[in-house]
Amino acid sequence: MTDLSDLALVEAYAPLVVDADSAAFYRGWLAHELRVSRCDACGHRFLPARPVCPVCWSRDIGTEAVSGRGTIFLCMLLHQGPPAPGVDYSAGPHPVVTVELEEQPGLRFTSTVVGTPAADLAVGQAITVDWIQRNGVPFPVFRVTDGTEVAS
Amino acid sequence: MSPLASSHSGRNPVKDRIAVAGVGSTGFSRSSDRTALANAADAAIAAIRDAGLTAADIDGVVVPGEPGGPGPNVVASALGLPRVTHFSRPAPVAMFAFADAVHAVFSGACETALVVYPYLRLPWASRQAANDPFRRHLATGMATVPESIANAAGYAAWASRYLAEYGVSRDAFARIAVNMRSNAARNDLAAITTPLTFEDYYEARMIREPLCMLDMDLPVDGADAFIVTTTERARDLPQPPVLVHATTVGLVTPNDEDQLPGLDHHGQHVVIDALKAKSDFWLDGLDVYCPYDGFTVITAGWIENAGWCGPGEAGAFLAQHWDEASSRVLIDGRVQMNPHGGSLSEGATRGSGHIREAVVQLRGRAGERQTPGARTALVTTGGFFFNSQGATFRADS
Repeated sequence: MTDLSDLALVEAYAPLVVDADSAAFYRGWLAHELRVSRCDACGHRFLPARPVCPVCWSRDIGTEAVSGRGTIFLCMLLHQGPPAPGVDYSAGPHPVVTVELEEQPGLRFTSTVVGTPAADLAVGQAITVDWIQRNGVPFPVFRVTDGTEVAS
Repeated sequence: MSPLASSHSGRNPVKDRIAVAGVGSTGFSRSSDRTALANAADAAIAAIRDAGLTAADIDGVVVPGEPGGPGPNVVASALGLPRVTHFSRPAPVAMFAFADAVHAVFSGACETALVVYPYLRLPWASRQAANDPFRRHLATGMATVPESIANAAGYAAWASRYLAEYGVSRDAFARIAVNMRSNAARNDLAAITTPLTFEDYYEARMIREPLCMLDMDLPVDGADAFIVTTTERARDLPQPPVLVHATTVGLVTPNDEDQLPGLDHHGQHVVIDALKAKSDFWLDGLDVYCPYDGFTVITAGWIENAGWCGPGEAGAFLAQHWDEASSRVLIDGRVQMNPHGGSLSEGATRGSGHIREAVVQLRGRAGERQTPGARTALVTTGGFFFNSQGATFRADS
């Protein structure tokens, strides 16, 4: 799966926009790796993927797999929203969290949470990345790690 | 205090040199079958006539790139403007276009600019619009996934942060929503004027929790228009000139919705810093206050960042200055907050309504909602990410 063509990668993750700057980020998903951009010159990590380091302007930008651990920084429950496979708003609100990753202050990634009732989620909870399949390809989600986890 | 690296010098050569000489508005509706161009033309013609001018006097046309709206060339052509030396299509949210017109006149790119803001309910924003065959060509929508806080969703996500970080209830949001509705009852242009109670607010359907239906602005059809020219010229025209004292926009990095530094460091802080440095007046003795309310959490941010109260204190501030009799805010018993009803109740004008209200109040022509003797106005439009903006206005001396 990690040897998908560029075209297959673009099609698999639509409507997310995969381009030359972000392809490595999405290829990480195929390997169940949450990656961030990392400047080879100064070590600054950032998201979303961009071609220049915003700190030192180096063009030598690589990707780095992160642990996927962090804390919920923003927490929104969608009672209605864009359609997606496996998302049923009539069954209850769909949580969307922005997680501050442990590798660097302010470095954040946004996805949904599985395994915990939406009403039990809160800003500040410890959380870690997990993977589901969506449209036949891996998609990163989060799972609460602080003991409030229940069987999904 | 915001952790900004540097503050604005206050340099502001345009101060009071440019004025609003004309205003026009169609009023706002949730059920119209008119096109954006029809509303744009009506507002524009009303503004040009209000200024005592004709098509031949307009040599600048600024129309923001509203989805489904006409470009400046189409507006110019529809109005038969014979000769235009400046036209542009800035991003939506009012101050981008307004400031562009101010700068164009100040620089000599044109003498007299028409700024038109056409708003159209798109098929994804309204069931009635979705069923309108004449809007079917606009049914493109924004392809996205649920797991994103881009655009509007960003405000619900940051509202969760606001509540958690400051340990406050939704009371500030409720008061902001109720205030706008109470004020809209005094505005003939408003799309919705039925009274709103706190009970209504807390019972309203959640959309993007913690924000409900009543935390979000109201999609409408309609248009606002302004005539911007030199103060010198405006003094020869029929209306009392309203002077543009200062304008600014503000941006920090990163400004992506989910990477924004924090509630204490975003576009609003840059705007307030620059606007305060450029202006000869601030909150002391201010007469007219129009903070943007596309989402209630944005208004809470503007109130706090402008300096009316500290971070997280908007709810307490609004409670302290709440007028029970009229169910709205009267700061120090005098200053109304969005007397026209804001985007939440007049309609989602992305801030042109806020500018219009400042102009109408400073002309002294706001009818039953007029603040007596209004001389100064503060307008802060846009949100946290990439459209924070502001302006100060004053009446001519």
